[in-house]
Amino acid sequence: MWTTKTFLTKTKRGNILKIVREHYLRDDLLCGSSACNICPHKDEEYVLDSKPDSVCALFDYPHYLLLDTNVVLHQIDVLEEDALKNVIMLQTVLEEVKHQNTAIFQRILEVINNKKRKFYSFVNEHHKDTYVERNPGEKQNDRNDRAIRKAASWYALHLSVNNVAGQFPQIVLLTDDENNRKIAQEEGIVCCSVKDYIENVNGFVGLIDKLSKNVIPETCSKDALYPAHFTPTQIHTGIRNGKLYQGTFHASRDNFLEGTVSVNRFEKPILLQGHIGINRAVDGDLVAIEVFPEEEWRKPSDIVLEDKADDPGDLLEEESALLSSAKPLDSSKDEITPTGKVVGIIRRKWRQYCGILMPSKFPGATRHLFTPAEKRIPRVRIETRQSDVLASQRILVALDSWPRNSRYPLGHFVRALGPIGDKDAENEVILLEHDVPHARFSEAVLACLPPNDWTIPEEEIKKRVDLRSICICSVDPPGCTDIDDALHARPIDGVTADGLKKYEVGVHIADVTYFVRPNTALDKEAASRSTTVYLVDRRIDMVPDLLSSNLCSLRGGEERLAFSCVWEIDENANVLSTKFHKSVIKSAAAMTYEEAQITIDNSSRKDEIARSLRTLNALAKKLKQKRLDNGALLLASPEIRFQVDSETHDPVEVQAKKIMDTNSMVEEFMLLANVSVAEKLAEEFPQCALLRRHPSPPPANFTTFLKATRQQGFEIDVSTNKSFSKSLDEAVLPGRPFFNTMLRIMATRCMQQAVYFSSGTLSHPDYYHYGLACPIYTHFTSPIRRYADVIVHRLLAACIGEDVTHASLLDTKQADSICDNLNYRHRQAQYAGRASVALNTHILFKNRIEIESAVVLSVKRNALQVLIPKYGLEGPLYLPSDKFTYNEEEHYQICSDVTLKTFDELTVRLTLDSTNLQHRKLVFQLVKPHVPGFSYVPEDSGMEVESVASAEEVKETPIKKRKETKQSKPKKKSKNQ
Amino acid sequence: MTGHVSIRLASERVNACVASGSELPRFYTPGEVISGMQDFMRGHGTYAEDDCLKASVAGVMQKVNKLICIRPLKSRYVGEIGDVIVGRVLEVQQRRWKVESNSRLDSVLQLSAVNLPGGELRRRSAEDEQMMRKHLQEGDLISAEVQSVFSDGSLSLHTRSLKYGKLPQGTLIKVFPSLVKRRKNHFHNLPCGISVIIGNNGYIWISPQKHDLMVEGNVDEIQNYDMQPVTRSDRETMARIKNCIAALVASKMMLDDTSIMFAYEESLKYELVKDLLDPEAMLDIAFLTQHRINNIMEE
Amino acid sequence: MPGPDLLSSQGLRLDGRRPNELRRIRCKLGVFTQPDGSAYLEQGNTKVLAAVYGPHQASKSKSTTEGVVVNCQYSMATFSTGERKNRPRGDRKSQEMSLHLRQALTAAIKTELYPRSQIDIYVEVLQADGGAYCAGVNAASLALIDAGIPLRAYACACSASMAWRNGEPEPLLDVGHVEEAAGGVVLTVASLPNTGSIALLEMSHRLHMDYFKVVLSRAMQGCRDIEIILDKAVRDHLAEGWTKQDVVTI
Repeated sequence: MWTTKTFLTKTKRGNILKIVREHYLRDDLLCGSSACNICPHKDEEYVLDSKPDSVCALFDYPHYLLLDTNVVLHQIDVLEEDALKNVIMLQTVLEEVKHQNTAIFQRILEVINNKKRKFYSFVNEHHKDTYVERNPGEKQNDRNDRAIRKAASWYALHLSVNNVAGQFPQIVLLTDDENNRKIAQEEGIVCCSVKDYIENVNGFVGLIDKLSKNVIPETCSKDALYPAHFTPTQIHTGIRNGKLYQGTFHASRDNFLEGTVSVNRFEKPILLQGHIGINRAVDGDLVAIEVFPEEEWRKPSDIVLEDKADDPGDLLEEESALLSSAKPLDSSKDEITPTGKVVGIIRRKWRQYCGILMPSKFPGATRHLFTPAEKRIPRVRIETRQSDVLASQRILVALDSWPRNSRYPLGHFVRALGPIGDKDAENEVILLEHDVPHARFSEAVLACLPPNDWTIPEEEIKKRVDLRSICICSVDPPGCTDIDDALHARPIDGVTADGLKKYEVGVHIADVTYFVRPNTALDKEAASRSTTVYLVDRRIDMVPDLLSSNLCSLRGGEERLAFSCVWEIDENANVLSTKFHKSVIKSAAAMTYEEAQITIDNSSRKDEIARSLRTLNALAKKLKQKRLDNGALLLASPEIRFQVDSETHDPVEVQAKKIMDTNSMVEEFMLLANVSVAEKLAEEFPQCALLRRHPSPPPANFTTFLKATRQQGFEIDVSTNKSFSKSLDEAVLPGRPFFNTMLRIMATRCMQQAVYFSSGTLSHPDYYHYGLACPIYTHFTSPIRRYADVIVHRLLAACIGEDVTHASLLDTKQADSICDNLNYRHRQAQYAGRASVALNTHILFKNRIEIESAVVLSVKRNALQVLIPKYGLEGPLYLPSDKFTYNEEEHYQICSDVTLKTFDELTVRLTLDSTNLQHRKLVFQLVKPHVPGFSYVPEDSGMEVESVASAEEVKETPIKKRKETKQSKPKKKSKNQ
Repeated sequence: MTGHVSIRLASERVNACVASGSELPRFYTPGEVISGMQDFMRGHGTYAEDDCLKASVAGVMQKVNKLICIRPLKSRYVGEIGDVIVGRVLEVQQRRWKVESNSRLDSVLQLSAVNLPGGELRRRSAEDEQMMRKHLQEGDLISAEVQSVFSDGSLSLHTRSLKYGKLPQGTLIKVFPSLVKRRKNHFHNLPCGISVIIGNNGYIWISPQKHDLMVEGNVDEIQNYDMQPVTRSDRETMARIKNCIAALVASKMMLDDTSIMFAYEESLKYELVKDLLDPEAMLDIAFLTQHRINNIMEE
Repeated sequence: MPGPDLLSSQGLRLDGRRPNELRRIRCKLGVFTQPDGSAYLEQGNTKVLAAVYGPHQASKSKSTTEGVVVNCQYSMATFSTGERKNRPRGDRKSQEMSLHLRQALTAAIKTELYPRSQIDIYVEVLQADGGAYCAGVNAASLALIDAGIPLRAYACACSASMAWRNGEPEPLLDVGHVEEAAGGVVLTVASLPNTGSIALLEMSHRLHMDYFKVVLSRAMQGCRDIEIILDKAVRDHLAEGWTKQDVVTI
């Protein structure tokens, strides 16, 4: 069964430690070829064809391809195409790939798992005939190359046994390593470079475009624009002796020549500036940096800088503007940040990027520049022959390398997503950019669903508490189809010891876990999606529609399974007792917030629903007051709703969301339910309860905010959430009703993100939820759209003995990894939602120009960040430096008698700049306060043209649309006007 | 002090097996079923479970009528009445000595089971009890015979014969009890001038021969004799015999006067006694001895 | 999922074994002359020596009339792990291991045969590469047989862990140090495979009930496989030690 030879692999590390590991060599490993007469294959174990068709003109006989590591690492996109089949993947190669780039490793695994591709992974490292031992003094790389060659010659020999000459497939070794190729040829192995092979492949258009550009070694200094990166060993020793630091590079959104790296040693992130400072790091990369001596430290520039529109060739420029502005002009120490430069890349975190092609000016050229949709990613140079087709498309591009002599990283085209401006293509971009899984549900997932006409089985009703007779209703936003919560309240007999009236209040949550059983395909898919993503015109469901909008949705008048949390509450909203049980409910009414509000306010209505709602409302108000007294923060974020045209799905109007009493009523009880569940879970599962915490923000986050509020004459106390909440409440300007909301919006931005975590990973005090001011919190109330709630449901069901536990549920480590995914997806979903809002705002403004009041959010060196409360829109209002002077210390801009500072209210004019299709952006122009020669004057068009032209940064304004006044309703035009 | 030390790798170990090995008996290992319960009686090294007779040790089966035993390759000594043993006094107790005899419990030598000076029929007085330590004290080696076996398996010894009793000068070698053949006589005066007591318990006592017959009761003379130094040639011969025994044991050969003598004679071709510690030499001696024994048996 | 790396997509483990395969076991009985029984056992790179003294007279304080007193001592050589470490005898871990050894071996020994006696079992780990306890039990079992001490059956110990292959749970047999360190659960079973009874069960982490059965049965299968290997070693040893004369004397 197994060979008894033992080989010892020795590794040294750190303070010289000899590690001896066993390495079993086997004789039962199959070669996977149908042409083989030796291996005892079973039918399903044949992967490679006995007579593979050759697609390459260079090798017109049947052959198998054997890939070298460098081929997989650099040409994964080519491999993902269907062109190459009958490929042998050696374990040596797979392990090297896994070691160097996990993302590519995952992708190659996908390819191997695709049965149609006929990729066979051969475990050469454990095969008794193909294992090679590292010779003394031999480098690991050389050994691996030798192992690959050994496997290649073994295959050739193995297939020739018992086969007529010429009747069996040959082996072709694909490698881009010249040295390896040379030795292989000497050993009589047929080999070829990928470029030669692919260029001679017939019948697969566009395959060549996917070919990754050849990598120029770091040592090559010809025409070098950038300093060379350190070698891994140099980096390693540098980090070890404390000269270098490692961290993840975050590019600035506003300034493409600036970025930061967070390093543990320093409180502030390390600033990196300029092409040289950033030295080819791309957002997300793990980099090694060197920190400059303190006297060279700078402060972050506050200008907004974008890469030039045209292709400047391989030159570096634009440094001066940035660097001069960034020189520390005064000694205000607190703004100076540690500064450094990137000296090496430890690991690239490149993914595929969406964007558009900027075709070269020369017709017929194959080298083009690609602009990614994500602003933090630099432009990419790609080669394609399909530029005329692709110019009008959204495309996906992969990065290959960034040699020293290229201004831009090199990449290659992956696929087209659709025409620019097309709604679907744009949505696709949003989803791809935010890594939202949005493919259709697979057959396996759909197979887990109950039939369409599913009704609650009798025995299930018997097992549950029957609440169908109780008057339960749901309150949701209009148009909501995935109703996951419903409420009820009724007085109960008896009084408390203090003589207060008692109520029974129930929150009923859709019982999704009844349908989504653990470890089914449905469950895995839901776990991977983690959350439903709401785009303006589209919802990407976490669970299939049948569940989300029908069987789980607690629709009015229909019997549904629910998970109930029922309290006894006294008149003063003190919880007397809590119980959880699974139940069957029949919602009496599914109302909107507005309907519910009307029902409450309409004193003529005395039916059960109205009474129930009034009780709930009264209790909710008391609950809220208690919460606020505890120090909960009332934060705000601009939320808007689009009214969408029913035919074109284009947005026709936008409005800020209305907040009513009933909103808060539902919210209070959901909070109460979540807290009750969290307490129960933490008690029962101290190691693996899924909870949600909100860390208190570090004081440094508030610096700018406090400065701005001080300018407005308010002193905000941020020491605790209670004092913060109190001082926010007091900061009211009588004449400006929006000011307080503004403050809260700004305060929200100083906060940390709330995150899911597993109770086993943190100590109890860290469970605290800062925003809600409660010691423990979780998500229980929206299992239809959040996977976290599904887990919480399962845990709670296990607590109360309604359901069995299963392994993954109780594993702290696994819970932790689920939390990581939840947090990631949750964040991405939020970003995607915002991106969708931005997209739709652009569409909305395509045909209109508006003049609106706005508020200054922050002041930058060359721009103001403004918010339009009506639309919740945010954007830069560029200020010309010849007219405005920037006060660095106090953050305001001055132009003669006009001072612009944070929280100031302005009037601005909004238009859409569509000249750059990639980054279509809203252009904000100042209307009031009036600055001569700059502000937009509605009556005088001629002057505006000039003023705009003079404003350098505001590149262009679509003036032709000016004639449409702001009152004009948007006309339904074809999208591509 | 510089000694000559040689350390061998495990891979260079000499296979000490000398048996022709063509016919191996049927071996039983612990837990193996020997037969159904019905027809047989349960003997040593077996136990009954699930209506089956199972082996509890690894070894060969011995069948005496319906009694089935499994005899292991080696084990602690299991005493039988009449066995000659060599043992060491561990403890002096009330009217008895505790003797370590390589069996699983310590053996007992009653004060009443020894010959005391003054004749067989002497009454044991209280004085004798106090004088016990003078007779045999802790650490003394004795030869004795098994008088009886107690219910728990421990042995009761006696030394009521002149050939038993305290052992004076000599050397002791311990071997597995199973390697000692049960013979009528376990006291041998070898032709080379050395006497050997092959205890059934695997303890073998090698001592110089007493040259003249001693007069019974002449205690002083005996003690006197005991204190005399042993000649170098006698000591060398004793050492040689010890090494020969070790060689035979290493090859798992049975020990009796014949095999020891044969081995001794074969060993004479090695001049130095210490050469006999060499594994190859040990194997050589064992092999030659085996050969001679085979020859005898064929005759 | 924890430890997806323990099993490759081809179903091989890090060292090239399949999930149901033991490491290579090599063993030898009777390596010392001084003790009544001794054995050396290698299980992969885990190397263990065991020596047995007895049964002999138990010291008065321990002596019982009910059966033999089994006394175990487990210790690890200073050089047994990657980093040299002085291990005082009787540190907590060794003490625990000694207790576990005793529990497993007492189950195998027919203790009732030898009242007032004592058996001393010394297990020394020369090299630890995971599963030192299992190797210790197996070696001690051989040493007991070498000493001719009556046993009900072989006491074998084997460990098993859990890994996932293509999302399906797949228990791993005979966990090595690398797999142990990967953090998965390790279930150690000492059993008398012949009778199917379990002498000791120990688990390093929490494992869900759903998987327990498969992991346990895999470990039990491992014990049975080990028994076969040990039995063969014992028979070889007997064949080597048996001389013709014995047969004659019978």
